[in-house]
Amino acid sequence: MSWVTALWSMNAAACLTLAGFYLAVWCKQRQSPFYLLFSCSAIAAAAISLFELWMLNSRTVDQYQPLVRWIHVPTWALTLSFVAFVRLYLHAGRTWLIWSIYGLRTLVLILNFIFPVSINFTAITDVRQFSWGGQMVSVPVGTPNPWGLLSNVSLLLLLIFAVDAAIVVWRRGDRRRALLVGGSMIFGGVLAWHVPLVIWGVIDVPFFLGFTYSAIVAAMGYELSNDVARAAGLVREVEISEKRLNLAADSANVGMWEWDIVRDEIWITDKGRAMFGFDSVEKIDFHLFRSRLHPEDRESVLKAVENSLATGESYESQYRVLLPSGELRWIAGRGQVEFDRERRPVRMHGASLDITTRKQAEEQAERQRNEMAHLSRVTMLGELSGSIAHELNLPLSAILTNAQTAQRILRSDGADLGEVREILQEIVSEDRRASDAIRRLRLWLTKREVQQHSLRINKVVRDVLKLIRSDLVNQKVEVETELTPNLPAVIGDPIQLQQILLNLVVNACDAMASCPTSERRLIIRTGIENGSRAITVSITDQGHGIPEKNMEHVFEPFFTTKEKGMGLGLSVCRTIIAAHRGTLWATNNSERGATFHFRLPMTAPKKKEAIDNIGSS
Amino acid sequence: MNALQPTVFVVDDYAPVRNAISRLLRTAGFVVATFESADAFLAQYNPAACGCVVLDLAMPAVSGLELQEILAQSGSLLPIIFLTAHGSIPKSVRAMKHGASDFLTKPVNDEDLLTAVRAAIERNRAVRLEQAELSEIRARLATLTPREREVLEYVVAGKLNKQIAGSLGTVEQTVKVHRAHVMQKMGARSVAELVRLTQRCGIGGR
Repeated sequence: MSWVTALWSMNAAACLTLAGFYLAVWCKQRQSPFYLLFSCSAIAAAAISLFELWMLNSRTVDQYQPLVRWIHVPTWALTLSFVAFVRLYLHAGRTWLIWSIYGLRTLVLILNFIFPVSINFTAITDVRQFSWGGQMVSVPVGTPNPWGLLSNVSLLLLLIFAVDAAIVVWRRGDRRRALLVGGSMIFGGVLAWHVPLVIWGVIDVPFFLGFTYSAIVAAMGYELSNDVARAAGLVREVEISEKRLNLAADSANVGMWEWDIVRDEIWITDKGRAMFGFDSVEKIDFHLFRSRLHPEDRESVLKAVENSLATGESYESQYRVLLPSGELRWIAGRGQVEFDRERRPVRMHGASLDITTRKQAEEQAERQRNEMAHLSRVTMLGELSGSIAHELNLPLSAILTNAQTAQRILRSDGADLGEVREILQEIVSEDRRASDAIRRLRLWLTKREVQQHSLRINKVVRDVLKLIRSDLVNQKVEVETELTPNLPAVIGDPIQLQQILLNLVVNACDAMASCPTSERRLIIRTGIENGSRAITVSITDQGHGIPEKNMEHVFEPFFTTKEKGMGLGLSVCRTIIAAHRGTLWATNNSERGATFHFRLPMTAPKKKEAIDNIGSS
Repeated sequence: MNALQPTVFVVDDYAPVRNAISRLLRTAGFVVATFESADAFLAQYNPAACGCVVLDLAMPAVSGLELQEILAQSGSLLPIIFLTAHGSIPKSVRAMKHGASDFLTKPVNDEDLLTAVRAAIERNRAVRLEQAELSEIRARLATLTPREREVLEYVVAGKLNKQIAGSLGTVEQTVKVHRAHVMQKMGARSVAELVRLTQRCGIGGR
């Protein structure tokens, strides 16, 4: 085989090899069309090389003529695909230049097939053979077609396009690419000028248009090997960071997991398996995970997962798991969902943390807080015993008098049964009143779990005023209420919230004990805090206010200014409010006295209807 | 308010108790008027009213004790029976000191209340009677001339006509005439009766 044949074939083979590589890359990364474009251009370049090889070995005009015409097809394909590739790969190149090149090149192709021979020649008279580097090669002899200039103009535009794109990329700072891709492109663009020169008979060489592409092949080959090397580096880095992550996760007692939603397979670290009580080889799917959840928490976890899958918001949930051994654990889970291009959830990954110890501590703290609140409630009730006795005494008093009156009526002749009926009616309603008071007392005195009701703060205020009514009368304190109607609900324990209010009302009364009776005025206000989702309650007195230096101390345990009293009331109140995710604070009024405020977060409005009636009593 | 018929005025801010007591008293045959506050009572108060007041000790605004004070200042003769849920000793002492007729704790037994009301009304009747007599005597006293008044004072002090004449620097005969006028104007048939009448008005002899 002659070296010319070998060289042209090798060029074609190199182009095809690279085309194959990039085609394979494109198959893996369909979202990057420039790999496909490059592959197309490389195939076109290989085709050109093969056409040229054929031309070099042609002996007659008849053999040569169709080749001169058909070589324009791969040339057209090469130009179009390569220009598009540059545009997409380098993000450079002017749009008007691209369309000019496309238009001109397509026009050349059309004209090429209209003219009798080709765009380059009006006629080929002979195929001249000469020795080139010791090998016999063929070149055409004929009349050049003046329309061939169009082809040259398109070549010129291609060169300008290449130079412009290279400059843009260089300026952008990506010098390596500018040099490699831009440089090789310009090299090819310059080298391609041998074609018109051969046609016009200026130089005497065979066509080697296929080789103008070899610099580009080399450059892109280099890019590819670079990518491969980088990918290998990345794989190693990923492995290292995964190891680090697992180490960190293990030492933080975090179980990492990934849920393949399409196949419903859950991968989880060994730590995580231990956390949920899975053995080390067990295959885990969502159903198995679900079976580990505490029945009471199952629904909330499923809801959280469904919400993430539907909205893409991150998943977050705290729940209990029941291990096969019967052990109960608290887990905090967090995760993220991944979606495919059709917004279908495909994968969810995240981490689970064993928070059993923390939860136990929280529960312990809550129990203590509860006991404290209960103790404080009992103490306060002791102080209010007069008021409570009164609350019971009134209905009992009405009942006794009514009953004795009825006895009298029945003893007399011609008893008025209508009157007796009325009396019995009153006895019933007063008895109800008394049992209501007893029920309230029992609620107050019972030590019980904290309730989480949705309740109306205005009702809490009214209940407290009912409880303390006779004390207020005795102390001659006038109460004014400014309760904003239709306030959104808050979540909380009705008794504990009553306790806070009662404490603040009692304090306010005590603060005014030394004021003249006409000035003992108490104002209770409820409302919505501006610009936040919180309900506010304030209790304003007309006493002597709080010395500024004590403003924060009043909430400390055992701080008291009263002769009797342990100084626990306000500190307990603050603890209770904090447990309700609220705040309690005090201010002095501009004129006289002090105001105690507390703020509680509102519940989400959508839950409003469900809860309304629970309230407190 | 009927000034002639004894009425029990019930003042209590708690309606069920107020109504029950009113009903009991009516059943027992009393005329009853109810008020939900001290102010409501004062608004309709007639100083000439007779009967008694059944008063709740702890009421908002004007309390029972304060109403008692107001009535005392205005010279009311109405006896007051206090009703209280928590019979605190200092308060009951204060109420009794200021002339409360009775001090009962709620729940109150019907007989206790009725007895107290009857006693109070009786007391009121007696006081009113006495008051009426007193004002009658005072009216008679007012008809005496200054000289006759002087003579009256000497007479009730047990002085003889002669002694009186000496003290006044006049003759016994003149004293006799004055003395006859005094006895006639005061409507006294004997010196002993004259002494009793003047003592009730707090007039002593010279």
